[in-house]
Amino acid sequence: MNQFVLQYGKSNELLLFPHILELGLKKNGAILFNTFLTTVTEGLRIYYIIEGRFEWRINHQPYVFYPGDVAVILPGTSFGSDKGALEIGSFSWLHLDVQKPDNGQPMFGKWSGLSESEGAAIGKILLLNPSPVLSRFPDAGKILKCIQGELFNNEVAYQARVNHQLDELLIALTRQMTRQNHSTRDFPKTFMHLEEVLRQNLSHQWTVEEMAALVGMGTTLFTERVKSYSGFSPINYLINIRISEAIKLLKRPGISVTDIALDTGFYSSQHFSTTFKKLTGYRPSEFRNNHLRNK
Amino acid sequence: MKCIITIELGTNGVRVFAFTLSGQVIGSLKGYYPTFHTEPDHSEQDPEQIFITTLYVLKNLLNEYIHPKKIKVACICFSAAMHSVLAVDKNGNPLGNAITWADNRAKKEAQELRRSALGKKLYAATGTPIHPMSPLLKIAWIRSNDKERFKQANKFLSIKSYIVHQLTGEYMIDYSIASATGLLNIHTIKWEADALQYAGITAAKLPELAPIFTATGKLKKAYQQSLRLPAETKILIGSSDGCLATLGDGVKGEGKATITIEDSGAVRVMGPAVLKDEQMRFFNYLLTDNCYVSGGPTNNGGNIFEWFTRQFGDFTNPFDIEDSIQQLMEEAAKVPAGSDGLLFLPYLLGERAPIWNANARGAYFGLHIKHERRHFVRATIEGIMYEIYSIGKTLAEQRTIKSLSVNGSFGTIPFCTQLIADLFNKPVRLRQQFHSVSFGAWLLSATEMGIYKSLDEAAKTVELPDVYKPNKQHHAIYADYFGIFEKLSVKLYDEFEAIGGLQQKYGVVEDVFKKK
Repeated sequence: MNQFVLQYGKSNELLLFPHILELGLKKNGAILFNTFLTTVTEGLRIYYIIEGRFEWRINHQPYVFYPGDVAVILPGTSFGSDKGALEIGSFSWLHLDVQKPDNGQPMFGKWSGLSESEGAAIGKILLLNPSPVLSRFPDAGKILKCIQGELFNNEVAYQARVNHQLDELLIALTRQMTRQNHSTRDFPKTFMHLEEVLRQNLSHQWTVEEMAALVGMGTTLFTERVKSYSGFSPINYLINIRISEAIKLLKRPGISVTDIALDTGFYSSQHFSTTFKKLTGYRPSEFRNNHLRNK
Repeated sequence: MKCIITIELGTNGVRVFAFTLSGQVIGSLKGYYPTFHTEPDHSEQDPEQIFITTLYVLKNLLNEYIHPKKIKVACICFSAAMHSVLAVDKNGNPLGNAITWADNRAKKEAQELRRSALGKKLYAATGTPIHPMSPLLKIAWIRSNDKERFKQANKFLSIKSYIVHQLTGEYMIDYSIASATGLLNIHTIKWEADALQYAGITAAKLPELAPIFTATGKLKKAYQQSLRLPAETKILIGSSDGCLATLGDGVKGEGKATITIEDSGAVRVMGPAVLKDEQMRFFNYLLTDNCYVSGGPTNNGGNIFEWFTRQFGDFTNPFDIEDSIQQLMEEAAKVPAGSDGLLFLPYLLGERAPIWNANARGAYFGLHIKHERRHFVRATIEGIMYEIYSIGKTLAEQRTIKSLSVNGSFGTIPFCTQLIADLFNKPVRLRQQFHSVSFGAWLLSATEMGIYKSLDEAAKTVELPDVYKPNKQHHAIYADYFGIFEKLSVKLYDEFEAIGGLQQKYGVVEDVFKKK
């Protein structure tokens, strides 16, 4: 296929797809300067390397890409190369418009067939993924090629087909991410990673689906494994961490009980108080008074 | 009906058992808590998470098995992993996380002290090997490297002492845990002045010493309510996991030894005298004022076979390592004893007893062209067991070992138990149903309650129903190969040092030990 760029608002091919901000294929025969400048956009950007070797910076970190590699750049993240240099080779890309609520977690529009919870889980994984590089993932290239073909050929039901393929791309990418990040041979390590992520995002209202997706497992297997490994259901394990963190905060003066409740992921101070008392026998304020009394 | 509850604060989590007064298990639950490795050599746990997990599991156990049947809780008895340190401020609030036994941050201090005359003197007085695991060295490390924490610290507790303080408001440490701090003189049962001076603290910075039968103060009101336990519920301070596993297997008296293999392992004996050793290879911990639990610990137990399984096992069921381990065990069983001449040194995590060499590393030896994958599987298990045997052999220089028992999740896998019987050429007994540590805590509680007159009497009642008999032919083969194993473990000293040095130089070793 020859090189091309389609942009929503400029290219008729994208009239039906306001969520596809840009789609393109670049074949670069000589090193160019001042062409591949560092930019920040509101869209989710996905690049797939077909040929060559590219040195790009994502969020100021340098990465090297080889054929078959995928770069996933989150909305609001800087991306480009030093001095705008573009090396010899070819790659294709997609800029997808996503909604970005306050928590920064990407959400997908009405075009997507993903259910609300599936979409949220995918958004969460994209947001928490530690590396923007997926190594050797040719499936992504195939899907991008299919989307290009559909847009140029306009066969029957191509609108549905393109949107299906976008969903397929998001699913394939997130599944690959979790696979890349977690060995199925080492549950303790996977569980430790989960623990870390939960602690770093304790105020988030985690669902079991999100937690399971984060470590690349189905909810049934995930719940079973967590239960047999930790003795607790995933939600109860999470409550465990929440209360442990809350205890630490309660022992420090100067932060209100309501703030502690919200910081540790309880949806209200009432919810916090009930859960805390059920487990410890104390209301949070009583617990705090007991521990600060000697001061 | 009455019950005894045992709470075992282990390395990876808490295990709570409810027993009848005749020692039958009513029910048990466990809860996991994580270990954090924020820096190489650091190994820490969150004291609040341990506390909440313990409370949560205890409450669930009471609600599931005890309260619905209106069973009365006669007593609650604690056991815990040894060597942990938690600094708390004057309000009893933790200053940072608890430092666990696996923490190696004080390795330099340990190396220096081990070589010095003071080190020898402290080992003889305290029974705790001079090793970074020892709270003596951890406190010394905090003093020189974390001055703010040291200054603010009102007490240095063990994890168990912290949990008991949360529940009752009392600062207490039992003889067993105290004897594993490197700070207690195990002959006089007083804090050792030279050790305190080395650590830079006074006895006032440590919890109050208590015999293992000591009842702590009452449960705080709030916990009486949330757990629905009456104020008079007795709480026993209890002992350590190592001591209780030995008691739980009935290893009291002449000629008995017990082998524990979980992630790591140990061979232990119990008796009225300490094991003296010029080379400082053994530990001597206190169960009571006239009973010592002595032995040698290894770093490399079930965790080494888990490593092997993760690399070379078949994971048809994702995330199911037990299944993959089981498959490999079946494969190993089809290989002749001695693995057709393939030997494995299991020192992937360095080694404590008997060689005490942090630089020791693993090796396969004797490889020839007919060896297949399955030989590696069996050789790996045999290597782990040769190491256990070599600890047993050094113990046997001072104690006659006539009968053996085995406990721990790895040691009690039938293939492993049989291997131990063959290697030692002695019948091996074990109990499959539950944990020896918790049963030891039950024996302790039952003795305190007057069900038994003494721990001796209690230990005598222990019956280990399953017996593995040694296979003489296998023993002869293993004995031949063990000769080479034993030589290699010391012969490679210089090369271990050299490779350890290179691994440090090129920065790989920190990472390796981080995963421990």
